[in-house]
Amino acid sequence: MHAFILAGGFATRLWPLTEKRAKPLLPLAGKPILTHIVEKIPEDIAVTVSTNAVFKEGFEEWKQSLNRSNIEILIEDTNHDDQKLGALGAVAQWVKDANIDDDILLLTGDNYIGFDLKEFIKAYKSNALLATHDIKDLERAKSFGTVILDENRKRNVSSFEEKPTNPKSTLVSTGCSILPANTLPILIEYAKEHPDNVGGIFEELLRKNQTVECFTFSDLWFDIGSFDAYLEATRALVGDRIIAEDGASYGETQIEESVVLGQRSKVTKSTLKNVVLFEDCTVEDCELTNCILDHHCELKGVDLVGKMIRENTKLVQEN
Amino acid sequence: MRPKILLTLWLLSDIALFIGVYALAYFLRVGFIFSTDFPFSQYITIVAIVSPLWIIVLATTRTFHMTRNQISMRNLAYISYAALVGLALFSLTYFFKYTTFFSRLLLIYAFILTTFATYIWHIVFQNIQRRVLSAGSPAFPTLIVGATRESRKLVESLIKKRNPLCPVAILDGRGAPDKEIAGVPVLGKLNKLEEVLEQKKITHLIQCSDLEQSLNLLSACRQRKITYLLLPSVLGIVERDEHTESLEGLPVTMVSANKRWWKWFF
Repeated sequence: MHAFILAGGFATRLWPLTEKRAKPLLPLAGKPILTHIVEKIPEDIAVTVSTNAVFKEGFEEWKQSLNRSNIEILIEDTNHDDQKLGALGAVAQWVKDANIDDDILLLTGDNYIGFDLKEFIKAYKSNALLATHDIKDLERAKSFGTVILDENRKRNVSSFEEKPTNPKSTLVSTGCSILPANTLPILIEYAKEHPDNVGGIFEELLRKNQTVECFTFSDLWFDIGSFDAYLEATRALVGDRIIAEDGASYGETQIEESVVLGQRSKVTKSTLKNVVLFEDCTVEDCELTNCILDHHCELKGVDLVGKMIRENTKLVQEN
Repeated sequence: MRPKILLTLWLLSDIALFIGVYALAYFLRVGFIFSTDFPFSQYITIVAIVSPLWIIVLATTRTFHMTRNQISMRNLAYISYAALVGLALFSLTYFFKYTTFFSRLLLIYAFILTTFATYIWHIVFQNIQRRVLSAGSPAFPTLIVGATRESRKLVESLIKKRNPLCPVAILDGRGAPDKEIAGVPVLGKLNKLEEVLEQKKITHLIQCSDLEQSLNLLSACRQRKITYLLLPSVLGIVERDEHTESLEGLPVTMVSANKRWWKWFF
């Protein structure tokens, strides 16, 4: 088996945090989202991370920071959203170029999965396997690929709908699946017409009378596609505590709910509630609620609610 | 460089115009002769002394500001106010120097001529300035943030009136489907901000939507020394009844629903 992680998006909804950094490299509770994922992949499985040329350096640096040798960074030769191969197109291109004839563990780099991937792999027999999660909300299900299970064989998927207008199920695909080697020709063909539709491959497999099985889990899962989802994931993983990374400090500061202080960040005389500071931020005499500050921000005497602040921002209230 | 040269020329031409219209007022009152009772040389010397002070008064009304539209009642009012102050300065200086007064009708001529000649010259100069600044590469490449109906109107107006702020690119936080607006390319979402600011050498950024990103747009502008402008409609102010005020020394945007008709001047 070979793991393939899709990390080529430009993540415009998380601008400005993704201005110079790919979404999978955003820190989540002290380490990049991608690290959370890779740590769950068994050591003996080779990992290929697919991204675009814009974020190449960031991924190379991330790779160096890991103590794992079987990771390859695959650079898609695109600099803009409109030049992208498409997520499924990138998988198909890699399968063809690298002559892959192995089963593929397909993961999306912006989804946090709480379950143990070893259990997921153990559940894989020979049919395509899809990890699903019941979000118990039909409205939210409109944003995901929804799955309806076979009434007789509860493990089998009877239908799959990508972002349906009227979802019939709250069981959603979580960006984690295993595609058997024998389905790869179908994937390559399908990707020619639908290079962006990763979920569509499961509809196509069902149309081709291939069995798609389902692995339903109830552990934490977050699709970190927006500011709210990012904060929600942080709250869930950090809980009511503070994570202070190396060199971070917080004197005379009131902390409420989840707070993450990046390396060398300094907070004084402030109140922080659900706040993430990246590296080297300075916050003095501020009240911040539901905020994420990119690195090297300097804030003094300002109150902010629900803001993502770009790197090197200086907001200093003069006395 | 072009804007600075133009501004210098504008100030110098205004001084020349001030002296010229006062000379014309003299001849209209005295007749086209050099009077021995009211020597022209004394008169014009005082006008020349007062002219730089008058320019300073005029400049405090921000009439020379690039974004000021010269064809407006407010601008005419400001110019007439400066003309009045100029007249007072001239009268006082003349009296202090020669301890004598002169024709009151001359003062009325000087006031009317200064007001209207300056107003007309400013309109003419604005046209010259806009042609010079928009010729070749724009002097002030401007980025528009937000592809909205209001921004479309703004872009069309800036282009039609050859405003020195020349829109060269549009970004939209939500990803507008348009490829261009009034010939100005829509280059994508805000993730292309840095690239556009760098490549297009942006000097001004006008925010027309995406209120939630104003902090970040401001931050980008500050870092690159770009002038940031915000349309009031982004804040929900669409009825054109806003004005900038000061509250205990803090600049504030004030909206007065029961605005009186004369408030436009103040």
